Amino acid sequence: MGFGQFLSSPEIKLKVVTFRDVFQNTAQESSRFGEDYCKLSAVIKLDPKDIVKLSIKEGETVIVKNKSGKVVVKAEGSESEESHTGIAYMVNSPWSNALVPDETGGSGVPSFKDFEVSVQGAKGERITSLRDIF
Amino acid sequence: MTEYYVCPGCALLCDDIEVEIEDGKVTKVNSACRKGVARMKGCSDPMECTVDDEKTDVDAAITKAADILREAKDPLIFGHGNSSSQAQQLSIDIAKRTGAYLDDTSSFCQGPIIEAILQDKLKTCTLDDIRHKADVIVFWGADPSNSHPRHLSRYSYFPRGNERQRGWEEDRTAIAIDIRKSDTAEICGQSNFYRIPMAADAEFMEALVSALSGKVPKTSFDFDKKKILQLANVLKKAKFGVICVGLGLVYSLDELEPLFILMDKLNEVSSFHLLPMVGQYNMRGFNQNLFDKTGYINRVKFDGEDNSVKHGADFSVIESLRNRSVDAALIIGSDPLSSLPLSVARYLAEIPLITIDPCRNLTATKSTVTIPCALSGVEAGGTAMRMDGVEVELKKVIDTDNLTDEEILRRIKEAI
Ligand code: SF4
Repeated sequence: MGFGQFLSSPEIKLKVVTFRDVFQNTAQESSRFGEDYCKLSAVIKLDPKDIVKLSIKEGETVIVKNKSGKVVVKAEGSESEESHTGIAYMVNSPWSNALVPDETGGSGVPSFKDFEVSVQGAKGERITSLRDIF
Repeated sequence: MTEYYVCPGCALLCDDIEVEIEDGKVTKVNSACRKGVARMKGCSDPMECTVDDEKTDVDAAITKAADILREAKDPLIFGHGNSSSQAQQLSIDIAKRTGAYLDDTSSFCQGPIIEAILQDKLKTCTLDDIRHKADVIVFWGADPSNSHPRHLSRYSYFPRGNERQRGWEEDRTAIAIDIRKSDTAEICGQSNFYRIPMAADAEFMEALVSALSGKVPKTSFDFDKKKILQLANVLKKAKFGVICVGLGLVYSLDELEPLFILMDKLNEVSSFHLLPMVGQYNMRGFNQNLFDKTGYINRVKFDGEDNSVKHGADFSVIESLRNRSVDAALIIGSDPLSSLPLSVARYLAEIPLITIDPCRNLTATKSTVTIPCALSGVEAGGTAMRMDGVEVELKKVIDTDNLTDEEILRRIKEAI
């Protein structure tokens, strides 16, 4: 299945903030190639208003991409009570790192926690596996 | 008598861990957090010993690894956060001998903070000081509930310390400053949570300094002035304050100056310390060991001939890969293909790679040589340094047939 069929779904630009999650981290200790690690990593958490803008439902897959890379992950609503439209959360993982730009402005430190992406609904598309990333 | 072990799951190096062993395997881990339990039980995906994707014995793998490093003009040696100090010393020796680039994760996380602490530019304290004395604890861009799950229960918030007998209920105030309401912010409570916009940490610090100086704290994002003044008041009254610096803060500051100014101001009006929330269990040890030998904590390049050392961003793991200045790499106890930006990781996957790790990881799948090693802190002992700079002796829990990373590095060094 190509990405072409999703061309009609609305695409929005968001900023991504990455965070750490002890459950995902625990899964990583057991196996980086395990199902749990993928399930807990390949997720983007969105503000309810952004979910409406994308005309998707929670739990559907979305394409997240920018100049650096492209991954298909599951969209979830974030638990935050405070609105954070325009900002999405991703757990720190190879999936988020696929989207981190490599420019550092000479500092040697990429923007791991603050980068722009575009997001588009892709219902039914297969979630990117760890091996697909490479 | 109960034997207590040290958990190598993060740089808290909790030393009160009890384990149960059956058939030479760790079957139960008591008192560790879930991440520590998973680390100490070991992974389900052990590394295999391979050369060019073919299984082989460790002697052949070590020979091949030494060949790669000897033939490389500018090898990179990276990792070290999950290795004992003894293994790290050998890594430094190999880097010297091969004229290598040498770096660790601190290069793109807590490096600047550790460097400032080692250069006496920031006042710090130990975790034990925090447990016994700290009354105001600020988690800034830090979420220990997820990154260091026992930080609050063992040290910073919940315990009864010598001078904090009434614990969190009356004796301690925990404050979270963050761009999102983390699990730690949840514990601090709504009135002690300061949600700031992305990349606004430096400006918030400036406003806080104004408030501490009795001026009106203004921000371009119109943060409630009353709330900043309230915060300044709490900080002023602290007897023993600590700022736990997380990656959120480190990444948001282009330079440390605003943090220096804030710490100076805080120490004018009360007493404040800074604690770097180091992730990997012996990252700080690596920084200290390299600092003792070269005066730098990371990002160095040795010159094979006269043993001189170059240091700076150009010698960082990221820039050296981005600029394609390295032609082979030795990775120890780390998975850079997972943790680096993909485009940087892609280049790493193109050059001859050697991976030493107890577990199979993404980097191993692209490596010319993979060598399994004992799980540090469980199948091997050694020395490590906690996030606060205190040395801790790791105790071996169980035996393994795998060599330790220290032994593997020693043999690679000899073979070169
Ligand atoms: S907090 Fe860190 S050191 Fe302590 S048990 Fe958990 S992972 Fe291990």
